[in-house]
Amino acid sequence: MRIVHEVPATIRTDDAIADLLDVEHGVVFQATDVDDDWEHIAAELCAAFDATKPAAIAGDPVVYIVSSDALLGRTGAGNAMVATGLLSAARTLAAEVKRDGVPVNVLGITPETPVEAIGTWVGRLLEPGGPTGELVQLGGTQIGKALP
Amino acid sequence: MSTGIVTGAARGIGAAIAHRLATDVDHLILVDLAPELADIADAIGAAGTTVSPVQVDLTSEAGIQAVVQAAAYGTVDALVNNAGITRDARLVNMTTDDFTAVLDVNLGAAHRLIQALTDRFSEGAGIVNIASRAYLGNFGQFNYAMSKGGIVGLTRALAIELAPRVHVNAVAPGLIATDMAMGIPEDIRERMIEAIPMKRMGEPSEVAELVAFLASPRSTYVTGHVHVIGGGRSLT
Repeated sequence: MRIVHEVPATIRTDDAIADLLDVEHGVVFQATDVDDDWEHIAAELCAAFDATKPAAIAGDPVVYIVSSDALLGRTGAGNAMVATGLLSAARTLAAEVKRDGVPVNVLGITPETPVEAIGTWVGRLLEPGGPTGELVQLGGTQIGKALP
Repeated sequence: MSTGIVTGAARGIGAAIAHRLATDVDHLILVDLAPELADIADAIGAAGTTVSPVQVDLTSEAGIQAVVQAAAYGTVDALVNNAGITRDARLVNMTTDDFTAVLDVNLGAAHRLIQALTDRFSEGAGIVNIASRAYLGNFGQFNYAMSKGGIVGLTRALAIELAPRVHVNAVAPGLIATDMAMGIPEDIRERMIEAIPMKRMGEPSEVAELVAFLASPRSTYVTGHVHVIGGGRSLT
């Protein structure tokens, strides 16, 4: 017997992205800019934990949205720690819920990425049976650079 | 006089790194909360290296400042951020306390120590942050993987910010023959070894050798990368 806690969707993104999303269940969590103060970095990672754990309990999909530049350390230590921390956390949760077919993914974006593209890809990455444990980057700034 | 700092130096990989770095620097500052630190410091000191043991909690500002104080004379030539803990559970069962404790020790302490020492690094100094193969994702380690992933991001950002004066790298060990690994039930450990192409656990001394190279002036053109040392396990 499995007990599934139904929880509403948790969306924490820029308004322009949130307006495009049609998510009934799951988490869409966008990393916000942080400085290099550990308290602020820890608060951002804790916010992700607080948003994600109920989804994991409910068996709902998760998408983290991060800056592709931050993944490569181009926008300061704080943003880098948040972006790469979320990527590793997503890969771990993907392993934990893989058997249940629940997708957990990360979307890397740049300031130039159209919000429509972000909305489209968030929808794809939330789809049951779709990719899981993946990082999809939009914008192409990662081409020829280190793999996160 | 060259100075090196190793955190989490009381046992396991950290102790092996301390022993290895002792052959490369004149003054070694060893940091750990565990009382076994004194034994490691005595052993290394007896071999001729000047050792300053600093038994502190690096999640406190007082702990960070105690390390800075120990390094007050001269510059810092090598820093190895190795201190770390685990509090494993599936995310559905993970408590907030266990989540934050792992982040604070594994990521926050490393970040804050580097911040406190930023102006103290010598030309050609090396920083090595000990990550883990778990940064690629590991069942039951949402907090630990996040902290080690964060270490990777910290490493990349600092590699850009501190260049060309300092080179910064991360080392991500896989299954290494430490007390922690030997605490894994034997049947599970054997299955883990079977999945490693090299068919064995790594030795702490092997990690230490890689860390010593990356912390030294011999590797100043290597920066911003994660060096996995796991017998090929990341491929299988």
